[in-house]
Amino acid sequence: MRTALSGVALLGAFAVSLVAVLTFSHPPVEMVATGNPGTGMQLNYVPAQVAQALAINQPPPALPLIDAGPPAKTVYKNVQVLGNVSTGAFTRLMVSMSNWVAPQQGCNYCHVAGNFADDSKYTKVIARRMLQMTIAVNTTYANHVGSVGVTCYTCHRGAPMPTQIWFTGVTPGSGTGLVETNMGKNLPAAAINNSSLPSDPFTPFLLNNEQIRDQGTTALPSGNRQSIKQTDWTYALMMHYSQALGVNCAFCHNSQAFSDWSESTPQRVTAFYAEAMLRDLNRNYMVPLTATFPVSQRGPTGDVAKINCATCHQGVYKPLFGAAMAAKFPPLLGVGATAAAATAPMPASDTTNATKN
Amino acid sequence: MTEYQNIFTRVQIRGPLHAGVPVTGSVFQREGKPFFSYLMGIIGNAQVGPLYLGSLGVASLICGFIAIEVIGLNMWASVGWNPVLFLRDLPWLALEPPAPAYGLHIPPLNQGGWWLVAGFFLTAAMILWFFRVYRRARQLGLGTHTAWAWASAIWLYLVLGFIRPILMGSWGEAPPFGIFPHLDWTVAFSLRYGNLYYDPFHMLSIVFLYGSVLLFAMHAATILAVSRFGGDKEVEQSVDRGTASERAALFWRWTMGFNATMESIHRWAWWFAVLTPLTGGIGILLTGTVTDNWFLWAVKHGVAPHYAPIYSPAIDPAAVQGVKP
Amino acid sequence: MAMLTFEKKYRVPGGTLLGGDLFDYWVGPFYVGFFGVTAAFFSILGTALIIYGASQGHTWNVWQINITPPDISYGLGFAPIAKGGLWQIITVCALGAFVSWALREVEISRKLGIGLHVPFAFSFAIFAYVSLEVIRPILMGAWGVGFPYGIMSHLDWVSNTGYQYLNFEYNPAHMLGVTLFFTTTFALALHGSLVLSALNPAKGEEVKSAEYEDTFFRDFIGYSIGTLGIHRLGLFLALAAVFFSGVCIILSGPFWTAGWPEWWSWWLNMPIWSAGH
Repeated sequence: MRTALSGVALLGAFAVSLVAVLTFSHPPVEMVATGNPGTGMQLNYVPAQVAQALAINQPPPALPLIDAGPPAKTVYKNVQVLGNVSTGAFTRLMVSMSNWVAPQQGCNYCHVAGNFADDSKYTKVIARRMLQMTIAVNTTYANHVGSVGVTCYTCHRGAPMPTQIWFTGVTPGSGTGLVETNMGKNLPAAAINNSSLPSDPFTPFLLNNEQIRDQGTTALPSGNRQSIKQTDWTYALMMHYSQALGVNCAFCHNSQAFSDWSESTPQRVTAFYAEAMLRDLNRNYMVPLTATFPVSQRGPTGDVAKINCATCHQGVYKPLFGAAMAAKFPPLLGVGATAAAATAPMPASDTTNATKN
Repeated sequence: MTEYQNIFTRVQIRGPLHAGVPVTGSVFQREGKPFFSYLMGIIGNAQVGPLYLGSLGVASLICGFIAIEVIGLNMWASVGWNPVLFLRDLPWLALEPPAPAYGLHIPPLNQGGWWLVAGFFLTAAMILWFFRVYRRARQLGLGTHTAWAWASAIWLYLVLGFIRPILMGSWGEAPPFGIFPHLDWTVAFSLRYGNLYYDPFHMLSIVFLYGSVLLFAMHAATILAVSRFGGDKEVEQSVDRGTASERAALFWRWTMGFNATMESIHRWAWWFAVLTPLTGGIGILLTGTVTDNWFLWAVKHGVAPHYAPIYSPAIDPAAVQGVKP
Repeated sequence: MAMLTFEKKYRVPGGTLLGGDLFDYWVGPFYVGFFGVTAAFFSILGTALIIYGASQGHTWNVWQINITPPDISYGLGFAPIAKGGLWQIITVCALGAFVSWALREVEISRKLGIGLHVPFAFSFAIFAYVSLEVIRPILMGAWGVGFPYGIMSHLDWVSNTGYQYLNFEYNPAHMLGVTLFFTTTFALALHGSLVLSALNPAKGEEVKSAEYEDTFFRDFIGYSIGTLGIHRLGLFLALAAVFFSGVCIILSGPFWTAGWPEWWSWWLNMPIWSAGH
């Protein structure tokens, strides 16, 4: 009996060890230095995984460029955003949008068959708002998206609902009775690299405007009251940044002094601008659409799907490895957009974003 | 060439079981019937047991049991009492200290109150254990070195979970009870206070930690190397030096020009081991209370190295916009 | 003569591995031997090169002196002296000195007629160093992933290399290594305390024998491993700590490039859990 038990235990331990060993990759490793020699600032990649990412993250072929015909608003009814775009460019973009977002369903995913002007499908209302959002990203957030820009495909990748989205988690402190409230942490958090850090750092930082900066700016105490628990939340957010971009801390920071900008890489500045952008997009584009989405597409607490780094980046340091896809669609860069598109109906500026972050 | 290096016992001889030095000055007696274990006998003494619990031992074990139960049941509760999830997620689960908003107040049980309860009982268990060890040593006529070494560990534990949180004015500063969560806490602690590698007492603690392992490897290897001359009888060798002691001393003298004695190596050992949590505790205690950013502290004192910028130095964009961070 | 009272009778010729009687003598308390000569050569040369490297740097501040490995773009080739070549030569010197030292310990052990446990144990320390500066760089394809020679700069390297994997403390081999480091220190405290407490009993008491030590530990935790066993256990714990430290860094990079927390997905994804859903 005793021998049998220990035999089973040994076999079990062997099986678990075998599974664990099989999880590892193997050399060679591709490395990218991001700092001085000997600082340990570098990114590491497995070539096969890079090849796989390269294969997945390619822009789809773009339709031939057309820019002919009268403005779309003179030909079609109810064109609120792209009214001044030529009919040729407008049609090309509509077909492309269908390919990017609803390739299976086609035009009728958003449009009522036979009446393109009809707004009765919720998907069309959302699509219009998303067009405005795309133009806003490309025109007002060049400090983050640069000349690469975004298109519908950046997030959608051929699916009506982007796969990399987030919903607000269960409110911290909601436990009852004997149940310990774990304060939004201490469970495996897939978006946070499976660590036990807070699983939803998005609500405080990418929707609300909580303070991301924790580290003291003076050697001796001078009034910085950020706690270790708050640092957990920032750390969780940074884990997400790393995972969403397929990078590590060294992509932006020298861990000698995480908060020191003079020791950081230029990428940290780019990431900084994403924070204000994401708050703007989530608050002014996604949240107002909450009621427009059917309940089945909302989160466990009834909130709307929202955007974080992974929504566009999908594991790559630049979405689609920096393919300048948006440049092939001038209307998405705001060319020919009506005044209504430039000043979106929802308040678009996040005036408080610079005060804390 | 191949010779036996005494790394395990080849022939186990079974003498009578030892009841131990008679217990005096206590109403309690030793528990359990001692027995021989072949597996234990391969590396050490084959005899297992008996055990002396005494009133302090029983009290300590009860407190420790309560603490483990409180921690474990809270963890189980955090996965909705699902036994499979409890096993699967166990390394991720934790009993968290109260949120910083509670300061040093006593929060409701499910808001960190259980953490205080667990901390209290674990502290009680450790302190009762100290007195148990102290009393055992005295009743057997031994020195109290083990108890004081244990006190050094209690010091580190109290600094982390009690003294520093009180100085900071928040229970929330303390680490959670949990496997991965306490690791997250240590990293967050270093992140918040500007890189703990620049904390000089952390440096010292690491030196003593590595030093302890180095010392134990050196000492244990030396004793095993001279075990063919009876080197493992350290007390006898200390009071009546034999050739084992002489060879052990000469080995190090000839190797590095310096040697300890059979007794003094244990003083080196004791101090290295005891200074590990002692200096570590000081390093934790100073963090946040008298320094806020160890890297900047090191810059101030000319300790931090400077690396040549390889990018045009990034500037805080929040500052560029004319707004203070 | 720097000799202990009992030392003279132990100073006998023989036991050398190389060089016969040529270097079989002492300088002050130090035994020389062939490997003493090579150890001195490598360590003096290495130290001189570190000082030279410091003179080429921007500071003489002992905390800030930093001799860096080559940029990773040099791969496994030689780098110019000023661009990491010095680090490469110093690394060779260190390896030469460490191995000489271990072999010198073998000679001294043979001369004293004692076991080879100390050089065997020291070889684990050499393994840890070789893991960091040779094995891992070769597996990753660049000397540039080695750590720099500098008091603070090597800490920055440890820090950044850890954060390459987002949270290094989730590395399973690192967990084992740290646990063994703490356990070894704990065991050392217990062993040191026990011997000191037997040798330094309460006032008026006699020095206590092993019978008391055994009784104390059986009373304490129900088991006394014994005077011989504790040294076997201590050596095992210490060497295992060093061994897993080497393993944990060899895994990081060559065999795992993502965040270490993510590694635990295999545990979460095991089919045995499906019963809980």
